[in-house]
Amino acid sequence: MDLSLEYALPVLTDPIVIGLIVAGTVMGVVIGALPGLSSSMGVALLLPFSLYLEPIPAIALLSALYCAGTFGGSITAILINAPGAPPAVATAFDGYPMATKGEAGRALGIAAVSSASGGILSVLVLLFAAPLLAQVAYSFGPPEYFALGVFALSMLASISGEAPLKNLIGGCLGLLIATVGIDLTTGVERFTFGVPELYEGIQFIPVLIGLFAVTELLNQAQELGRERIAVTVSALKLPSLDDFRRVKNTILRSSCIGIFVGVLPAEGSTMAAMVGYNEAKRWSKTPDDFGKGAIEGVAGPEAANNAATGGAMVPTLALGIPGSATAAVILGGLQVQGLRPGPYLFEEQPGLLYGIFFAMLLANILFLFIGLLGAKVFSRISLVPRTFLWPTVFALCFVGAYGLNQSMVDVWIMIISGLVGFVLKKNGFGPAPIIMGVVLGGLVETSLAQSMIIFDQQWTGFLSRPITLSLLVLAVISLIGGKIRSVLRRLLSRTNRTA
Amino acid sequence: MKHHDTITGLALLALCAIAYWLTTGFSEVPAMLSQNVPPTFFPRLVISIMATLSVVLVAAGIGREPEITGRSSTTFWRTVAIIASTGILASILGTLLTLGIVAIALPIAWGERRYSFIGILAVCLPISIYLIFTLGLNVYFPAGQIVGLLLEN
Repeated sequence: MDLSLEYALPVLTDPIVIGLIVAGTVMGVVIGALPGLSSSMGVALLLPFSLYLEPIPAIALLSALYCAGTFGGSITAILINAPGAPPAVATAFDGYPMATKGEAGRALGIAAVSSASGGILSVLVLLFAAPLLAQVAYSFGPPEYFALGVFALSMLASISGEAPLKNLIGGCLGLLIATVGIDLTTGVERFTFGVPELYEGIQFIPVLIGLFAVTELLNQAQELGRERIAVTVSALKLPSLDDFRRVKNTILRSSCIGIFVGVLPAEGSTMAAMVGYNEAKRWSKTPDDFGKGAIEGVAGPEAANNAATGGAMVPTLALGIPGSATAAVILGGLQVQGLRPGPYLFEEQPGLLYGIFFAMLLANILFLFIGLLGAKVFSRISLVPRTFLWPTVFALCFVGAYGLNQSMVDVWIMIISGLVGFVLKKNGFGPAPIIMGVVLGGLVETSLAQSMIIFDQQWTGFLSRPITLSLLVLAVISLIGGKIRSVLRRLLSRTNRTA
Repeated sequence: MKHHDTITGLALLALCAIAYWLTTGFSEVPAMLSQNVPPTFFPRLVISIMATLSVVLVAAGIGREPEITGRSSTTFWRTVAIIASTGILASILGTLLTLGIVAIALPIAWGERRYSFIGILAVCLPISIYLIFTLGLNVYFPAGQIVGLLLEN
């Protein structure tokens, strides 16, 4: 990968790209600030419309929305104790108590600065790590890609500590959905039920919109009675120099955690934020203040969740393996644009990495100012009546699902996905694992079929290649690691008790 | 309302059984053409893994206290009905008219009583969609059977 400015300048100086990044950032903060709307949903809703743009501006727009949306979730978490998105859940633990004490501006300021710091650090890592990882991936053949896909899917077991089994089942469901359509090797129809629109498979975008947006709409319909108490941002008090001194180590530590968690396939901002919060508490000199309005409790998760955005884009771009649910949506966008995510992406689209890097960097800088200066406005946006917001969201869902192929079948797929997604969500199955399965389905099936041909139908062939073997061992560890850890912990505590 | 992981697992097992049965209906291809990787290979592999995980879910749910969840409100069921009917309505009345109706029905179903705002939304939403998508991006929405009939006459 050539990192020369020859490819960077056209992207960095393109007014359309800059305009779209600004638009994506503002949209991201607004979407993130609206309760129920997350960056994943925002990217999913915007994806069909981004297809009318060239690949680089389109991905720049989505990347900016991804970064800003992750930050935007903290606004409602702090002001109304209703995290706009799952990654901001941990921010509410201390952000809302700060707001009730009249320190909403200070909490928002800490959140904006921490998010921007984490985000900027992570895009720098992205710029250098993605091409390096892509170089490693040049030597990958079908068995390595299959093992990588299996490893990514196995990581679903650790997305949510409470439901690893359900996440894995969700991933399998996604893989099964990806098999719908004509089998490319044999030309045989699979699960098409004679519907011609399904011959090319179930379109990714309607499923995505249904699972994220329609499911959330139904969720909102069930939570209509819940009261929201808004805190007014009386005076925007920026964090003091003393505050910065207090949180600088937390920001740095959480940023590193966020980048690491983000790089891991399937692990996204939510997990990064939780780990960031726990570590901030563990390293704090006053852990008892956590939950009562500690500024480290805001800085930790916010730095981590935004750092995870850049981290998540590393495997997404370099390997074609999504680092988070939103990255999976962006990956789907790259595929729909006709691009081939993976090591050859940077050769085929040399300006793309710069487009994404520049978009994410600019978005992080922009939302720092937008977040600090526009806190009062966003506190009002977060109170837009749901009765008017959600019909508009549904109209966008309808148009987004229909627009790609101008087919009503896609609208039906979107509606069915939403209804099924809601039932699954009520039973503990999140949409992210299903989306991961759908996105990875093609890669896993094709690479498995090619590998079986290479190995002459011998499964043991996978054990003969070091990278494949290592990835499969890692997959097994991520599948049973949690169980082994809990068994060991139980044994240790029993031994301690008897001693 | 109570729900139990065992029931969820059993429902998933039923889904796996149906999916497996559907794979038996796939056309057969000579081994030479499929290079010994038939079209049923991957779906059946995924179904087998899913069924195994579902069995674990069933087993894990046995003996565990069922979770108590709230009963779905009438508002929720009205929302489901509105969303589910949009596909049918769009083919009869056309997309833009349907979205206008959704902009009226959904807020009312959710308890909104500021009818002037509802009216503004119902008018502005389809018009904005028409201006942005049809005129701006050349996305043509189905006119619907009724509009089609009117145009024919």
